[in-house]
Amino acid sequence: MNHKKKSSLIMLMLVLLLSMVLTACGGNSGNKNTTNNSASNTPKSDSGSSDTSQEVKLKMVLLGGKPIDSDLVFSELNKKLKEKINATVEVQFLDWSDWGQKYPLIFAADEDFDLIYTSNWAFYTDQAVKGGFLELNEDMLKKYAPQTWGNMPQVSWDQAKINNKLYMVPNNNLEVINKVVLYREDLRTKYNLPEINSKETYANYLKTIAANEKGITPFGAKAADGWKWHELDQTLLEENNNFRLIDKRLPTAFKLDDATGKLFNIYETPEFKDLLGYYKDLADNGGWSKNAVTNKNDIWQDMKVGKVASYAHGLGTVGFNLAEARRDTPDLEFAIADIAPDSKKIAAISTQNGMAIHSTSKNPERSLMLLDLLQNDKEIHDLTMYGIAGTHYNPEGEDKFTAGTSPGNYTGFANWGWNSKLNRQDVAYPKEADDIFNGWEPKVFHFPLETFVFDDSKVKTEVANIGNVMVRYGIPLEYGIINDIDKGLTDLIAQLKAAGIEKVQQEMQTQVDAFLAN
Amino acid sequence: MKRSGFWSDLVKYRTLLLMLLPAVLFFIVFAYIPMTGVVLAFKQYTYDGGIFGSPWNGLDNFRFFFESGQAWQVTRNTALYNIAFIIVNNVLQIAVAILLFEVANKWFRKIFQTMLFLPYFISWVVVGAIAYNLFSYDFGMINVVLTTFGMDKIDIYNTAEYWPVLLVIVSAWKAVGYGSIMYLAAITGIDTEMYEAAEIDGANVFQRIFKITLPNLYPTIIILVLLAIGNIFRGDFGMFYNMVGNNGLLFANTDVIDTFVFRALTSSNDIGMSSAAGFYQSVLGFVTILFANYAVRKYDKDRALF
Repeated sequence: MNHKKKSSLIMLMLVLLLSMVLTACGGNSGNKNTTNNSASNTPKSDSGSSDTSQEVKLKMVLLGGKPIDSDLVFSELNKKLKEKINATVEVQFLDWSDWGQKYPLIFAADEDFDLIYTSNWAFYTDQAVKGGFLELNEDMLKKYAPQTWGNMPQVSWDQAKINNKLYMVPNNNLEVINKVVLYREDLRTKYNLPEINSKETYANYLKTIAANEKGITPFGAKAADGWKWHELDQTLLEENNNFRLIDKRLPTAFKLDDATGKLFNIYETPEFKDLLGYYKDLADNGGWSKNAVTNKNDIWQDMKVGKVASYAHGLGTVGFNLAEARRDTPDLEFAIADIAPDSKKIAAISTQNGMAIHSTSKNPERSLMLLDLLQNDKEIHDLTMYGIAGTHYNPEGEDKFTAGTSPGNYTGFANWGWNSKLNRQDVAYPKEADDIFNGWEPKVFHFPLETFVFDDSKVKTEVANIGNVMVRYGIPLEYGIINDIDKGLTDLIAQLKAAGIEKVQQEMQTQVDAFLAN
Repeated sequence: MKRSGFWSDLVKYRTLLLMLLPAVLFFIVFAYIPMTGVVLAFKQYTYDGGIFGSPWNGLDNFRFFFESGQAWQVTRNTALYNIAFIIVNNVLQIAVAILLFEVANKWFRKIFQTMLFLPYFISWVVVGAIAYNLFSYDFGMINVVLTTFGMDKIDIYNTAEYWPVLLVIVSAWKAVGYGSIMYLAAITGIDTEMYEAAEIDGANVFQRIFKITLPNLYPTIIILVLLAIGNIFRGDFGMFYNMVGNNGLLFANTDVIDTFVFRALTSSNDIGMSSAAGFYQSVLGFVTILFANYAVRKYDKDRALF
């Protein structure tokens, strides 16, 4: 190889090497002056009333796929907004497939937007701490979102505070987060099985199907998506024992009725060990696929075609499943069961859904006014939640609706950010689900740590490693793929110790104690 | 009379330099400028601070990786897999390229080439789904076939030992078509007079392959292998993640740096920690390529990259 060729190769080589060095680095340089400090960004309150003389364009970021008719609905919305607050809004959708990557990126790149959907599962704490959201104070809310301020219970505001500072306008709607199971009622009656109302009756159902129905997977689980628990854990491990995990990424839990909030490792409890026996028995009897951990299929779709006989999920989702099945697959009969009926019921905290204002928004006042309308103006709430009357939905009285001619063209994205008392209920929503919910409502249990949020900034290293251990040692153990449960459990606990569970628990306990002392 | 110097060279090679310009610009913009972001590996990234304003935190970002107890295992897995891929894929690619070259029938050659090339265009997500439908215990094609012949099912997704072999096979299946075209191009560039002379001297097909084709291929092989070695500490994330997913039982044999870091950091989204992991891989890759190049130099000075 001659000299010239060689030097150009050196060049190429170097360049290739260097190009590998960096992947995750946008060109966002310098000190952009992010004002997450409320003083500098609080709207001036010198003028008596909100000034809407200047027309503004707002940009709102929502999660979910862009609905087919979104342009239609939002241009309708803009006509109304123009009249009411002299503003128009443009909506950007972050598709469900990659919102998790894009969400932090649009903050990191300081994209120009005013409002964004947020939630305790959608980076609320993360972005609030990092300074991505504008801090909201009482004066602003009273002035620019007076209806919201009037309608929202104080507890909802309190639940949304991080270190005593508020960064979101939470939704105003009660949701219970306990899980239920959806199962095939026709199969239950076919084998004359007793009513499903406990973990034993449920196991009986799953095992009977495994033994008698070849080609049907009794319990559908999709552990492959990175969830760190068995899909029945929330019901059977947490709710049934009145345990509660502080943070789903970590195995540290407390007892619901323990006012001192003493933390423990849930894997080390005898209850967990018992449950492992229960899971192992199910796994050995074909209760779920041997490859549940690798499953790539959509469970609900598998259920609709009769390949899976049961799964666990939140009541709301399961209720909609039931309504959908009654419409699309009338030959399969589904039903809902609560397999931990005596457990304490837990309400979703207000940060389950909400809207926040970007810390660099140029129009925080108008953004708040928009949120006020979205949540409390009947006309605008109906329009943004359900679409255009007659096309996407038909209003039934004040608080119900039926599907319009093309309900599918305005759905599937997070307009839940402004859920409120004005929400309508689908007439087709199954009565059973409603009954269960109504039965739960008086049983909703509130506890001091309900709104506690763990700040992991001091133990990030340990949190990262613990998550890995849970996926690697916990999941296969819970799905019964590891033959020796005792050894599997010992391994899991030992690995967690090595990953630093004790340090995390200590840090968490300090934070919990400080939280309870307030 | 020769006046050499930077400026005269500049004038002399202006056309060539002009042709080089786009590539240089590309790498400056997309590789060199962003490279300053490597400082993130040593910083506690905050949005208001940005890349340069965030506070330094020393080696904290590297802790999660080295304190996990898995650092050695995943680094070893990454390197071993890549070595296996480099060897198996290159041998197969060269073999296929030579076969294609020797096959006289043009029609057959085209069809064969296209079929081999196809897998290269299939995304890993799709390959992962195909694999799941082949290997699944309950309804996978392999197990269905086994049961029809009255044999026992094999539980591929719960048996870690199968995976190194499976992954090497899948990687080869996907890479052979693409790589063989590069080698085929190199073979086509070999002076045909040599083959003619050999044929007159009575050399058979094997003698032609081993005495002419392969020796002429060495420079290409060495460059491609050296380039691949620079990436030896970078696992093919798409492949490992889509084939194995979050199946903890297989991790001992299949976890590579990239999948490990992905799992550890998806929930915390810490830019500093992921930069640290990337930096670690780059440093290891850099050191390896230096050694590999040094070894080649010792053996044959002209064939080294630099």
